[in-house]
Amino acid sequence: MTIDVDRCNGCGACMVACSVENNVPPAHEGATDRKGLTWIRVYKVDNGEEYPNRRTAFVPVMCQHCGNETPCVHVCPQQAVDVDPATGVVGEMPQRCLGCRYCMAACPYHARYFNWWDPAWPAGMEKTLNPDVSTRMRGVVEKCNLCHGRWHAAKEQAAAAGKPDTEPVSYVPACVEACPTGAIHFGDLNDSSSAMAKEAAEPESFRLLEKLNTQPKIYYRSKKDWVRGIAAAPRPGSGKENGRG
Amino acid sequence: MKTTRREIMMFAGGSAVGVLFTPAPWRLITDTALWSENWPGVPVPARGEIRAKYTNCSLCPAGCAVRARCVGDQPVALAGVSGHPLSHGALCPFGLAGHHLPYLPSRVKQGPVKEAAAAVAEGIAKCGPAEYVVTLDLRPARTASWTYRRAMAAVKNGRYVTPSVDSSVAVDLAKARTVLSFGVPVLDGWGTPGNVIAARPGFRLIQADPVESRTATMADQWLRIRPGSEDALAQGLASTVTHAAAAEASGLAESEIAALAARLEQNGPVLVLGSSRLESTGRTVVARRETPVPTEWHKAAPVSGLASLPDGSVRVLMVDESAPGEYLPWNAIQKKLVADNPVVVALAWSREGYARHAQYVLPVGVYPEVVGDIPPAVDSVAATFRLSVPLVPAPESCVKPEEFVAAAAGLSIADTLHERADAIYKTGRGALFTCADAKSAALKDVSAADFWKALNAGGCWIDAPDEKAPAARFSAAAAEARPVEESELPFVVVLNRELTPASPILSKVYQESNLRLAPNTVALHPSCGLEDGTQAVFETLLGKCPVRVTLDAGVPAGVVRVTASPAVLDLCAAGARAKVVRA
Amino acid sequence: MTLRGKIPFLAGLAVALGAGWVGFPHAIYQSRPQPVDFSHKVHADKAGAKCEDCHSFREDGSFAGLPTVDKCAGCHTVPMGTTVAEKNFIDRYVTPNREPQWAAYAHQPENVSFSHAAHVKRANLACETCHGDTGTSSTLRPYQVDRISGYSRDIWKIGNMRHGMKMADCVECHRRNSLENSCLDCHK
Repeated sequence: MTIDVDRCNGCGACMVACSVENNVPPAHEGATDRKGLTWIRVYKVDNGEEYPNRRTAFVPVMCQHCGNETPCVHVCPQQAVDVDPATGVVGEMPQRCLGCRYCMAACPYHARYFNWWDPAWPAGMEKTLNPDVSTRMRGVVEKCNLCHGRWHAAKEQAAAAGKPDTEPVSYVPACVEACPTGAIHFGDLNDSSSAMAKEAAEPESFRLLEKLNTQPKIYYRSKKDWVRGIAAAPRPGSGKENGRG
Repeated sequence: MKTTRREIMMFAGGSAVGVLFTPAPWRLITDTALWSENWPGVPVPARGEIRAKYTNCSLCPAGCAVRARCVGDQPVALAGVSGHPLSHGALCPFGLAGHHLPYLPSRVKQGPVKEAAAAVAEGIAKCGPAEYVVTLDLRPARTASWTYRRAMAAVKNGRYVTPSVDSSVAVDLAKARTVLSFGVPVLDGWGTPGNVIAARPGFRLIQADPVESRTATMADQWLRIRPGSEDALAQGLASTVTHAAAAEASGLAESEIAALAARLEQNGPVLVLGSSRLESTGRTVVARRETPVPTEWHKAAPVSGLASLPDGSVRVLMVDESAPGEYLPWNAIQKKLVADNPVVVALAWSREGYARHAQYVLPVGVYPEVVGDIPPAVDSVAATFRLSVPLVPAPESCVKPEEFVAAAAGLSIADTLHERADAIYKTGRGALFTCADAKSAALKDVSAADFWKALNAGGCWIDAPDEKAPAARFSAAAAEARPVEESELPFVVVLNRELTPASPILSKVYQESNLRLAPNTVALHPSCGLEDGTQAVFETLLGKCPVRVTLDAGVPAGVVRVTASPAVLDLCAAGARAKVVRA
Repeated sequence: MTLRGKIPFLAGLAVALGAGWVGFPHAIYQSRPQPVDFSHKVHADKAGAKCEDCHSFREDGSFAGLPTVDKCAGCHTVPMGTTVAEKNFIDRYVTPNREPQWAAYAHQPENVSFSHAAHVKRANLACETCHGDTGTSSTLRPYQVDRISGYSRDIWKIGNMRHGMKMADCVECHRRNSLENSCLDCHK
């Protein structure tokens, strides 16, 4: 997946579409940005300067689907997470999770979220739940699975159409479909002829926290040097980047 | 023989050993684990056949086309319609969760319909010679708006009032090479988002904005001006005041303003949004033909503004708050009402707006329960006609505002939308876009019956381009710039706009992240001395209301940014002064 | 220890074994009949229906599962035979257009994503492999549900099914056919 940071306008459409697709409940009263369920979350980052040298950008972050020594897979005592060798997707099984949150501590991208409360929808809104994704109960961790519900539906359609197992199926996750500026592109990184794979290979593409060598599969793109600098997290929070104090 | 305790223990021991060799304990463990997975209270999605339905979103004038993914007849997800000539497949965060709106816990569900109708009838009968019966339409230019106008023409002393909106003026983004916006959220909810995004590579955006709004972040150039100095800067650029005076007012350097003026000169056509003191050039603002209307309807009351009514003259006021639109502060309306027992009826889905002030609050359906047409967006050069088609039925207790007002006025109406569609069809102009196949056909190649059917399947009529459309101007009232009021209060108010109604799922961007500024929240610079998340009181000269504080370094010191909810708009407009203290 | 001393122990053992092997299965399951006494055999023989006629695939490849009452109403708006069961069915369900609350023997947990298309069309599995001889039965056997977990007894393998329907059974067949990749293949 590639995400063009220069195109992201911080509208939050991806966050809403993801929650609708994956049956993520609306916030409980006590939820804050530390205790919320935002499988994809758009962060506002800035270069720490004051006007007129202040520059700001929006960076959507979801599970980076680490390819090398995936931290959450390593630490899970329940084997409730696994890396799919065929697709590279790191799949979370909330049904198997026992809620120890070790994976949340291990994830360097803070992309895993815990159900602090039972999911609750206003009366009647449960009719709008997506049957392709199961609901979770409180006490388990959940995260982005690159819309596996849509993947299942695409695979089923291919099977019904008589296509062979070996032929890759194509689908788009909800965030990709919803983004109004088309900032997110999705495809097969291994297919070097695809536009997305070519983008990922370009020099202005970078990944978050590359120094950790987690080999994430989400490539970010920006022409701005300071954005690439932020992705490397060169220094611990000095307070200047975090405008909220 | 007596059973000894030892024998009982042996029996128990034997049972314990024996039970381990049966499947019972192992099954019980498995079953308990399985039982723990099916936690009661966590809803299970319903299954069924997946179908697609099409409609147009009526949450804002963009009217983006929507494809609803339905399980059986129940929408479970919404998406844009790719290839659509107006919305280009884009949908904003509010539109993406529109299918949740029928289940908003705070919506008005019951209301005294008969009592309200009786009170209105009595009020109309009692109406004196200098008194008026007024319908306030917060989203004008719909077919329902025409019904109100006809109803007000049918009733003695009827007046049709709207917040001033220039529906006959449109913006042609494709022609602009430079867009100079005075605080208008061009890239964050203005016009039709898909259209703005598609046109974006063609123009340089200069955003003059007191705060670092989303548009300011994405603009090619952000000019941080003092709040309330929009008009002064515009006048400086128009040379009706000196650059020095404009610099003094706005806080920019004089050389910056001179450079900007030169740039505008060289890089036209320039589209100016948010101030009427500087004119747009090169036909970027043009007059737009109105969507055709049956000729019989022209015998309707004219459109008037609130200011045209004398104070203390309105005996009956019916407010259509069903379609999301402007909110006029209540104190401006209240002084127009008669002193003795005016009848105020609010036709609303929400308790947050005029329901706080009206005597009778009647429940109405909410998107996507109701059928209605969506007026053309400001950035649509051609007239359009599209329907928001109901995807789920509205609750039975809801009234249709059009029918209520028409009945009150004694006007009998039939299927107004069909009549309007027929009037459009008669002109033979324009094209029809159908969503399912994403194709456009000329209107004259389609039968009248197919036209109506397509409109009810989310299709869109787009007028033929009007080559002779003259350049036009936005009225002064359409531009939002206001000077800062004089008072001792420390902060200047800058308003942020968020769409309502919003699904509770918008908590993702309001509460579970700090991406957007929620209603009833204020943003202050970190130097304000309050912590992030503090419960506070927002107070202006007109009153106070509770808010939550969030810190944002993009808001300069001395400015408070607040989302314009009805409660806030009753207390202040842009440029007002306020204080924020811990609750 | 004498035999006499062992009697209570052996008695306990016997009682426990009996309770565990005979009494427990009897107690743990709650049995209820299906809402309509439907005969697959009659429909297969007399109406010439095959499995796919009522248990069909939709256009998008998803499986329609149990047929809705409008499928039955296609033939049964008036009685086609003479049985009481049919008459009851028409009176209670077809005429008022009400869906019978069938209990699916093969009901899987909510978190399972099972694709009939992949198994029937790609793997060419016969219906009987997993569903046993339901298709040729003349009555529907009662639905036996585990009182604690809420799942049907059928997932533990009954009749002439080759295997049960628990996760271990699915994994075993997938492993044999080298199709075992990742959890998300089958979970949603």
